[in-house]
Amino acid sequence: MRMILFDGPPEIRARFNPLAWSRPIWELRCGMTTLGEKIVAKVGAAEVACFVPEYMAEAYAQQTSMKVNDLATLGGDDLLLVNSQVKAHDFDVPATGPSEVGLNGDGEVIYARVASEDVAKVQAAQAGADIPCPVGEFLAKAKAVLPTVKCSAPTYRYIWELVLENPEQLKADFQAAGRCGIEGTVEQPGAIRGGKENIYVAPGAVVHPMVVLDAEHGPIYIDRDVEVHPFTRIEGPCYIGPETVMLGTKCREGNTIGPVCRVGGEVEESIIQGYSNKYHDGFLGHAYVGEWVNLGALTTNSDLKNDYSDVSVMMDGRRPVNTGSTKVGSLIGDHTKTSIGTLFNTGAYVGSMCLILASGAPLMKHIPSFAWVQQGVVPRAVSREDAYITARTAMGRRKRQWTEADARMWDAIYELTSPVREVAIRRGRRLMARR
Amino acid sequence: MATVEERVKAVTARVLGVDLAGIKLQDEFRADLGAESIQSVELVANFEEEFGIEMDEDEALSVETVGGAVEYIVKLCREQGIEVET
Repeated sequence: MRMILFDGPPEIRARFNPLAWSRPIWELRCGMTTLGEKIVAKVGAAEVACFVPEYMAEAYAQQTSMKVNDLATLGGDDLLLVNSQVKAHDFDVPATGPSEVGLNGDGEVIYARVASEDVAKVQAAQAGADIPCPVGEFLAKAKAVLPTVKCSAPTYRYIWELVLENPEQLKADFQAAGRCGIEGTVEQPGAIRGGKENIYVAPGAVVHPMVVLDAEHGPIYIDRDVEVHPFTRIEGPCYIGPETVMLGTKCREGNTIGPVCRVGGEVEESIIQGYSNKYHDGFLGHAYVGEWVNLGALTTNSDLKNDYSDVSVMMDGRRPVNTGSTKVGSLIGDHTKTSIGTLFNTGAYVGSMCLILASGAPLMKHIPSFAWVQQGVVPRAVSREDAYITARTAMGRRKRQWTEADARMWDAIYELTSPVREVAIRRGRRLMARR
Repeated sequence: MATVEERVKAVTARVLGVDLAGIKLQDEFRADLGAESIQSVELVANFEEEFGIEMDEDEALSVETVGGAVEYIVKLCREQGIEVET
């Protein structure tokens, strides 16, 4: 049996921007692992392939051992195609069995199980028009010729749902990992609150003196080669990824911090994908931060409105989406940099590859990708050439390589995000000149 | 009506906070008038507002001198149908 991960159509993928501009949805984190890792573990698949938007296929193929966008993977074996938005914990579909297509209440394909003897029938079927990708076409054909069943497994609908579910997912993942105890070094004096069975310090991790690990309300998992500096307080549930450095951090409950980050200041119920720096003081709450982000000293986001009403997010720069939650912070795309003292509004959408200079007041709710923000407006785009030089430098410092495939992917993202950015620039220049 | 050169110099003086009388056509915005990259963007925004034109960002930011800005703006005004005194 071969499992195949796929994302929904573009309008669904857009709900996971700005992070999804540069990665498939299954690479997003919730709890201790990515959504894809959870699905693979739940299904128990030994062979996994995937389909991603064409513009990111070359760059993504460099980062994964899976076959990417390989049409040959849509045949030659029993197949289980799984929508990456599904919540793995509740996905109880047997990997093998009769062919069927599982649909949710909106008619979206959550999974398609195709026995090898039915693959030819599916491939020979007629697909509808305007299907943008090979896996979309395959799914449409499967839906047309195979039995359909109702699938009640819940899915993630928007990126902030990952943040909101993170605390509970951290607890579940800690239990599933089945590890506890100190295999690294915890220097004394320090303090551990709560049961030691709720703490795991992996080999190579070093917790300096004067650190508080408070597992009273949830488990703490400190992964390999993490360094926790003095005066850090870590409240569970929390996951700290490999080679991350915590710098006197006030690490409140519910955080997932990916690999190779530098994190200081106050962080609460947030997800940092990895390779990002928030070295200094400043508050980050209910936020999702991408890779290679640098948040300058005192960069702070609001995650709660003064009137305690639901937070809305401007995903597309035009219409607000009510999150249904009173607590949502910033969504910050890859490679974005903020200056000292940057202030983000509640539920701010901050695109990828942005350069943001503080204005002294909370910035606008939607900042398009590749936006240069100055005096609270977007008067110009970030130069791609300059942005790529900076990205190459930042990645080189962490022993990662910026490739031509990365550049081509980001060129495509630049074009895809151009219409919204151009509107913001025209408005920004008018506002700037009239001050 | 003031000429393009006079208007460009007036905008430059206002945005960069330099003495209007001291601005020469051969002055470089960065080297001679002290424009930071942030102010270069402000200059572009203010030139667009002053003349009612739209500038290509990369072209505009590659203009180095006051005289270069005058020439570039005259060209854009012709292309975009804006009447100006030259």
